[in-house]
Amino acid sequence: MTNRERKRFPAGRPYFDIGVAGRDIILSMDAFLLGLSNGVVCISYCAPVLVPYLLGQRSGVFSNLGIVARFLLGRLAGYLAFSVLAFTFHTALPASVAARGLLMGSTYIILSVLLVFYGLRNRTSSPACAARGSGPFLLKAGRLWPAFAPAILGLLTGLTICPPFLLAFTAAVVKTTLMDSVAFFVLFFCGTSVFFLPFPLVGSLKRLSVLSTVGKLAAGIVGLYYFYAGLILLLGVIKYS
Amino acid sequence: MHHAATMTYLRAALTSLPMMLMTFIILSRGKLTHDPRHLFALVTTFYFLNTLFFLMVKTGRTDRWRAILFTVFAVAFVISFISHYVEARGSMALSESEILECRTPFCHIVIPMTIIPLALTRTIIFPGTMTGVYAAIASMFIIWIGASLSLGRGFCAWGCFLGGWDDGFSRIMKRPIIKSIAKKWHYLSFAVLLAVALTSAAMLSPTYCEWLCPYKAVTEYVQVTSLTRLVQMIIFMTLFAGLVVILPLLAKRRIQCGLFCPFGAFQSFTNKISPFEVRVDKNLCVKCRKCITVCPTFSMSEESLDKGKARMTCIKCGKCIDNCPKGALSFHIKGTSLGDDRTGQRLLFLYPAFLFLSTMAGGNIQSAIVRIIGLFTTGSLLTH
Repeated sequence: MTNRERKRFPAGRPYFDIGVAGRDIILSMDAFLLGLSNGVVCISYCAPVLVPYLLGQRSGVFSNLGIVARFLLGRLAGYLAFSVLAFTFHTALPASVAARGLLMGSTYIILSVLLVFYGLRNRTSSPACAARGSGPFLLKAGRLWPAFAPAILGLLTGLTICPPFLLAFTAAVVKTTLMDSVAFFVLFFCGTSVFFLPFPLVGSLKRLSVLSTVGKLAAGIVGLYYFYAGLILLLGVIKYS
Repeated sequence: MHHAATMTYLRAALTSLPMMLMTFIILSRGKLTHDPRHLFALVTTFYFLNTLFFLMVKTGRTDRWRAILFTVFAVAFVISFISHYVEARGSMALSESEILECRTPFCHIVIPMTIIPLALTRTIIFPGTMTGVYAAIASMFIIWIGASLSLGRGFCAWGCFLGGWDDGFSRIMKRPIIKSIAKKWHYLSFAVLLAVALTSAAMLSPTYCEWLCPYKAVTEYVQVTSLTRLVQMIIFMTLFAGLVVILPLLAKRRIQCGLFCPFGAFQSFTNKISPFEVRVDKNLCVKCRKCITVCPTFSMSEESLDKGKARMTCIKCGKCIDNCPKGALSFHIKGTSLGDDRTGQRLLFLYPAFLFLSTMAGGNIQSAIVRIIGLFTTGSLLTH
């Protein structure tokens, strides 16, 4: 350090005072950067659910933008639920093996049921055809499915605790106010969401009609995989509790 | 007449000579053994391979002779692999410590599951060893790249050491009991590929090997030490019984390879770069649908007949060509005219394809013969 610099920045004092707003910005950047740095892992966790769904829908790029947006909103809802949880309990609940097993096991099973339902559902049949042989609940579910499915799938993938999310949760439990905790998760979510931007481009393949069949079958297989995974997690919780 | 038959034999023998020379070098690895059991295995394998190639050339039929070698190869592989495994580790089961030490043999079916994680993490998500050991990762990748560039999905009919099982079972019944399978299921292998590629990237582990591989029933499997391992074992056995034995028997098709194997689906894309394909001469085709009925991987359809070529899932086994009553189908080299020298084009395909199969099968068949001799003489398949 030169003499001139020593005069400007005396020992024991910070080089400049960033102030409360500055600290907030840095903390916000922390959450956003955490999301950015872990986004690849996030998409690898969400892709097994989102990609087969997008292929199965056989929608164009713009329709897929809507689907991905709803999926992300669902995911955000899952994150916000966790931010409230993190603030309320001030404890890394997902770090507890039993709690994590129970939550993830049950989430995986619900997710698997939805994916298998999606895989088996015949999208091309008209409501009249769909009514045949199915009860009012299934019929209603079938009608409402396209609007809510991406959000529900997003919520459920938001609730399954992937390693980056666990990292974010651990960082968020030390927040002193609810708003801090919520802001941290929202910014973390924004950082990870950047990686979801290419997903709507799946719609450029919509002219390949077989991809819709492949997507639906893949959704069913991924559903079965999650079912195994969920069952094993729940059995593990029952065995060790 | 007699002269013509002699000439046909002579021509077939001369055409087979290069193959005899190449297979001899491959089988002997450049030196003759003095051990009588190994010498017997070498001579038997040499005659077996070259008789089949001679018959392919002489009769003009491909699949009939290929299937014999392919099935024998699959059985020989299992005998050789399991014996080798038991000799090296004392059991057919793979222990958790061996997985942690990355001593799991690598199989080509894992390749499509490694691509996305390799791109994302620059890591091969398989507990195997890169080089210098039996079934090393690098050697399998090199074999796969070479085979893909030359044969495309022909790998599934001319190189896979497991496919001979369902190929063999699909030939036992005289007539199929299950005559048609809904078209939707023809795309199942692509769905399996998509699902396992994505879940493998998420879990950073080869999910097909962990949960869905039917061939775990006849190769190495993870020791049953927990409920998860037990569930996996039950799934492997059920899938082997269903997809490799029962359904191929009933449908007379390669159900595991055609409808389920993710590697097969992945390999279909390499058909785009392979110089060989199966073409239909629309002038000769009478649309008898025989090729559609016999194709083991559902690669012939009405649309493919209209287009004049097999679907991208074609494994180039030659079954449709053997069965076409009008000779409308043929092996074809891309970029040449359809009518150009069909025999020559077929031979240009057969040489690399058969040589690849011989290279993959030769060592395993020899090893299996030595072990079977050992079984009769010493009562054990193990050599030490």
